Amino acid sequence: MCVRRPLVTVVRAGRHSYASGLKLQQLLAKSTQNLGEFAEFRNYIVLQEHDPVYTIGIRSKSYTKDDEDRLRKLGAEFHRTDRGGLITFHGPGQLVAYPILHLRQFKPSIRWYVAALERTVIETCRQLGIPDATTTQDTGIWVGDHKICAIGVHGSRYVTTHGIGLNCCTDLKWFEHIIPCGIEGKGVTSLTKELGRHIGIPEASTAFLSSFASIFDCRVAEQADAVARDTN
Amino acid sequence: MVFITKFARIGVQAARQLRAAPLVTSQWRSFHITSMLDKERRYTDKHEWVELLDANKAIVGISSYAQEALGDVVFAQLPEPGTDLSQDDECGALESVKAASEVYSPVSGKVTEKNAEVEDTPALVNSSCYDKGWLFKVDLKNPTEYEKLMTEEQYSAFVKSSGEH
Repeated sequence: MCVRRPLVTVVRAGRHSYASGLKLQQLLAKSTQNLGEFAEFRNYIVLQEHDPVYTIGIRSKSYTKDDEDRLRKLGAEFHRTDRGGLITFHGPGQLVAYPILHLRQFKPSIRWYVAALERTVIETCRQLGIPDATTTQDTGIWVGDHKICAIGVHGSRYVTTHGIGLNCCTDLKWFEHIIPCGIEGKGVTSLTKELGRHIGIPEASTAFLSSFASIFDCRVAEQADAVARDTN
Repeated sequence: MVFITKFARIGVQAARQLRAAPLVTSQWRSFHITSMLDKERRYTDKHEWVELLDANKAIVGISSYAQEALGDVVFAQLPEPGTDLSQDDECGALESVKAASEVYSPVSGKVTEKNAEVEDTPALVNSSCYDKGWLFKVDLKNPTEYEKLMTEEQYSAFVKSSGEH
């Protein structure tokens, strides 16, 4: 049997609100897909940057309306989502990547998927000059005691949504108002802070895509961003 | 469960072959299962199981294969008693580290009870998926749906064939 490497289409959505990002994700993962035949599923990876927003996963009960109001007052949006993981922040200077994959074209295990996504971020950091980014018993990707990337995904009938938030040149003050991913006593960092030079989203995106193609053993192709523009 | 696979047909075919020429593994498995259960457990291609409590009451959980593919479950969102479900409805979610995965109802009916113990200790889904880690109980609306689900034998063949693709 001939084994073909799956194709993943890159959608560059630019900077937009979290709600637009969700809408785009919904469109790509469900509305435009034939879910009946996994081999025909078109895989995407959405690269985007959000306006300031705090988001929380399905374990959102510990966050009260008061917490929500407190965070909104800082000038950020607040969203309760269907992903895994606890609270995090997305905003300018952070690369948010949502791989929308049919895992049957890769490996049919969400556990494998999360591990592969972590390896992709570690490889991205290595390519950019941070050799010691790693996973710990806590969630996300860490450089020493500082978190550089958050992970939170959702799986539905083998189709993945949500993904990662990698701090490139994020204003880290936004994280002072929350305990990122529920882990106390540790800090956050960014590529720019670790490397002592400015790393923007475009540079991080290039490293992320090449790492993604090698770890997921897939072909990555750019696409005209017509779909992305339609939902903005 | 979460992971629908489209190889049910192949699974069923493989199961027929298994029945025609029983393998050592299937004999072991049926011994293993019958020693624990009086009532038969049926499975969906999304890796949920259903067991009848009486003619129109059933209990639902996820299979060992599913809990393995999820990894350590840290949070369970289960359907509230009174919820009306149709077969294949999304009715909850299980969160393993960093990933939330949907749970689908294998049958139609009204939820009568959710497993509060699993909400408190989600790891039961990993450690005891067929016993203490059950998810919810349901009054069946259409008991023939149960009959059409995969038997233990068909399901194990299905899992085997899914893994090979």
